[in-house]
Amino acid sequence: MSLIEIDDLVVEFRTPRGTVRALAGATLHASAGERIAIVGESGSGKSTIGTAIGALLPANGGFAGGTVRVDGVDVGTLDRPGLRRLRRETLGFIPQDPIATLNPTMRVGGQLALVVRDLGGDASRAALAQLLEEVQIADPADVLRRFPHQLSGGMAQRVAIAIAMARRPRILIADEPTAALDANVRREVLKLVFEAAEQTGATVVWLSHDLDAVAKWCRRVAVMYRGRIVEDGPTASVLEAPEHPYTQSLLAAMPSRLRRGVEVRTYTEMLASQAGEPDDAEVGA
Amino acid sequence: MQTLRWVGRRLLMGLVTLLGIALLVFFAARLVPGQAASVLLGPLATQEQRDALTAELGLDRDLFTQFGIWIGKVVTGDFGDSIISGQPVLDEIALRLPVTATLALMALGIALLVGVPLGVLQALRARRRGGAVGSRVISGLGISVPEFVLGALVVLLFSTVPLGITIGAFTAISDDLWLGLVSSLLPALVLSVFCAAATARTTRDAVLGVLVEPWIQAAVGRGERPWAIVRHHVLRNASIPILTLAATLLAYLLGGAVIVEGLFNVPGVGSYMLLAMDRRDYAVIQAAVMLAAVVFVVMSVLVELASNLIDPRVSTMGATT
Amino acid sequence: MTGAAAALARTPGRLRSLRTSDPVLTIAVVILGLLVAASLAGRLIPGLNDGTTTVGGRFEAPSLAHPLGTDSLGRSLVARLLEGIGTTFLLSALAVLCTAVIATALGIVAAYAGGWVRELVMRIGDVLYAFPAILLALLVAAAIGPGSTAALASIVLVTVPLMTRMVCAAATDVARRDFVTSARISGVAAPVIMVRHLLTCVSGTVVVQGTYALSVAILVEGGLSFLGYGVQLPAASLGLLVSEGNVYLLTAPWILIAAGTTMVLAILAVTLVGDALRDRLEPREAVDLT
Repeated sequence: MSLIEIDDLVVEFRTPRGTVRALAGATLHASAGERIAIVGESGSGKSTIGTAIGALLPANGGFAGGTVRVDGVDVGTLDRPGLRRLRRETLGFIPQDPIATLNPTMRVGGQLALVVRDLGGDASRAALAQLLEEVQIADPADVLRRFPHQLSGGMAQRVAIAIAMARRPRILIADEPTAALDANVRREVLKLVFEAAEQTGATVVWLSHDLDAVAKWCRRVAVMYRGRIVEDGPTASVLEAPEHPYTQSLLAAMPSRLRRGVEVRTYTEMLASQAGEPDDAEVGA
Repeated sequence: MQTLRWVGRRLLMGLVTLLGIALLVFFAARLVPGQAASVLLGPLATQEQRDALTAELGLDRDLFTQFGIWIGKVVTGDFGDSIISGQPVLDEIALRLPVTATLALMALGIALLVGVPLGVLQALRARRRGGAVGSRVISGLGISVPEFVLGALVVLLFSTVPLGITIGAFTAISDDLWLGLVSSLLPALVLSVFCAAATARTTRDAVLGVLVEPWIQAAVGRGERPWAIVRHHVLRNASIPILTLAATLLAYLLGGAVIVEGLFNVPGVGSYMLLAMDRRDYAVIQAAVMLAAVVFVVMSVLVELASNLIDPRVSTMGATT
Repeated sequence: MTGAAAALARTPGRLRSLRTSDPVLTIAVVILGLLVAASLAGRLIPGLNDGTTTVGGRFEAPSLAHPLGTDSLGRSLVARLLEGIGTTFLLSALAVLCTAVIATALGIVAAYAGGWVRELVMRIGDVLYAFPAILLALLVAAAIGPGSTAALASIVLVTVPLMTRMVCAAATDVARRDFVTSARISGVAAPVIMVRHLLTCVSGTVVVQGTYALSVAILVEGGLSFLGYGVQLPAASLGLLVSEGNVYLLTAPWILIAAGTTMVLAILAVTLVGDALRDRLEPREAVDLT
C-alpha cells in the first residue's frame, strides 16, 4: 500500500459559465519517503492535485469521481474532525507566496507559537528560535519580532518551512515554493525543503515547472497535461526519452536545452499545426 | 519616523475636515431667512435696537470677518448664549451630555455585543444553502426599521400593556444609578437595533473578506479548528471596518439620537436640539451639530491610529480607504 | 483553483443577469413592485385618490368600508397611505437620481484627475460624512426652511458622500488599469476615456449604491417629516403619516401600525434588492473553515 493513492480523480469547479474540469481522471501513487515532482503548465491541474490530497479544494470545487487515499483512508469520506486531523498530523504545505500565507497582523513569533502550542509543543522564545535556526535563519530573535511584510521572500519561505516542519508531517506538499523568489535564493530554499524531508522521512510532492531543478532533486517525475497525468516515471528516463508528445514539447522549452535557431513551440501549437485546431474535448465545459 | 509623519498627516486632515464642518455650520445658519436681530428681538423692536444688536453681533461686517470672529470664539468654547435660557450654549449642552452619553454608550455596547458575533456567524454560515436566508432577513430588517417607527411602537406597547416601566418618567443616572440605567435601557435598546444590524452586516462583510485570504487557507491547511482560526487569524484582521463603523455609530448616537430622545422624553442633547429647532435657537443647533461632527472626526482619527496598531502594514503602505 | 476557473469566477465591475432562484430577492422585488404600483394607482385611478375627502367619522377603527381605518379628519387611511407612498417614493427617487448624477460625475473626475482634485473631493465628502444624517437634515431644514425641498436637499447631501467615495474607489481601480493608460498615451481625450471606460466600469457600483441610497432616502425623508421639517401637511408622505400615527398613538394606533409597516417594508425591500445586486457585482467566495 502506498502512502498516497490518487485513482482516476476527477475534480470540477462550478463557475458562472458552467462546470470546469480541473482534474479529468488523474492517477498517482507515492510511497513513504518518495520524492515526486509534478510538472506541467499552469492550468494543467497540478495545484488542484496538490490541494486534493488534503481535500482543500476551494468552495466552488469538489470531487466528481475517483478517490484520494492517504495512508489507506479515503479523504473524500472523512468528516470535519477527521479532515482536520489528517491535515494537522499528516500533511504539510509549503506555499507559493509565503508572505501572503502568514497573518499580516501577527508577528512571526506569535504565529510560530500558535502552531507549536496547537501541537502541544514548547512555545518558549528559545524553542521558537531553535525552530528558526533549523531553517538556517541567522538572527532568529530578530525575525521572531518581525511582521510578515517586513520579511524578504526567502526569509518568509524559511519561516513557512519551519511552520510546516514543526508538525513533522509525513507528506510535504510544496506548490512551486520558489516561484516568488529571486534566483539565488531558490536553490537554498529547495535544499532546505529536501534536507528537512530527508531528516524526517517525509514524502515530498513538489509541484513545479522548473525541469532543470526537478532533474536535480527528484528521482521521479510525473507530467500533467489537461487534468491528467500523462507520463510518470524515473526522472532520468522521462527527461531522456519522453514518450508523451506534451513532455517532448516541455523538454524542448527547457532553458538548458535551448539552442540557437531552433524554434520553440508549445504543445498546443504543435497540435494545432497537426490537426488544424487544438483539442478541446478533454476539458469539457 | 514614517509612522509619525503618517499620524501628523491624519491629524492635519482631521483639522481640515473640522474647519470645513465649521464653515458649513456657520453659513447654514447665515442662510436662515429673516435677520437674526429680528428673530432675537421679536417684531416689536425698534430699528435702533435692531441696528445696535446687529452691530453687537458683528452682523454688519462681511461674512468672512464674521466667520473669523465666530470661529475664534468657538475654538475657545464660546458658542454664544441660548435664546431660550440666556445661558451659554456650551454650559447647557454640557449639562445634558451625560444623559446622552450614557444612552449612546449603552446602545453602542449592546450593538457590538450582539452585532459582532451575529456577523461572524453569518459569515461562517454563508456557505450553507438557505442557512443565510434567515439571518439575512433579520439583519436586513434591523437596518430597515426606522428608530421613530420602532420607538413609537415600543411606546405604544408599553402604554397599552402594563409592563412595569413608565415611559416618559426619566431618572438621571446622577440621581439614582439603578433607576437611571433602567430608564435609559428602553431607548438604548430601540437605538441599538439599527446599530446592531449595521454592525452585523459590516462584520459579515469584513469577515468574508478576510476568509478568502491566503493565510486563512494556510491555517485551514494546517488543520486548525474553525474557532481558533476565527480568534487568531480573522477577528483582528476584520476589526478595522468594524471599528470605523463603531466611530460613525458613536457620533450618530451622541448627536443624532434626536428622535428617540424626543419620543422617550430623555432630557439629553437630542431633545434640547429639538426644542432649539422649535424656538429657532440657532446657536444651540450650531453647537450640537458641531459636537457630533467633532466627535466623528476625533473618533475617525483615533480609529485610523488604532488601525495602524492593528495592521502594521497600514502606516507603511498608507493603504487606507 | 485553476487559473481558468479563477478567471471565470471573477468578472468584476459589471452586473450579471438578475435571473435567480433566490426566494428572498423574489419576495423583495414583488413587495417593491406592489408598493410602486400602489403609489401609481393612487395617482392615476381617480376613485382611489380620495385622500382629501372625508369619508367617515374621525378615528374609525379598521373596518370593511375603511380597511385601515380613518384619520383625525375622517379621511380614509388607505387613500392617505397611497398618496404617502407616492410622495415618499417620488421624492426619494428624485433625490437619488440627483445623488447618482452628482456622485458619479465627482467620483469619476476625482479618480481620473487624481492628485489635489481627488483630495479636495474626498475632504468635502468627509465634511458632509461627519454629520449624522438627521442632524445634517435638520441643519438644512433650519437653513432653507421646512418642506419637500429641504427633504430633497437633505437626502442628496446625506447620500452623496458615500456614493462619491465608492464610485471614486471603483473608478480609481479602473483608471490604473493598462487599457486606460494605453488610451491616455495614445491621446484619447479625457472626457472620452471618462465616459467610455470609467463610466461603463463603475455603472454596477452606481446601481448598487443607488439602491442603498434609496433606502437611506426613505429613512431621511421619514425622519425629517416625522419631526415636522420635511413634507408638510396637507400633503402626505410615509414619514408624515408615521408622525401623525405617533401623535394619535393611543387614540388611533392603526395609523402608526399601517404607516410604520409600509415604511419598514419599503426600506427592507430596497435593502434586500441592493444586497442581491451587490452579491452579483462582487461575488464573495464562501469559505469552509474545516
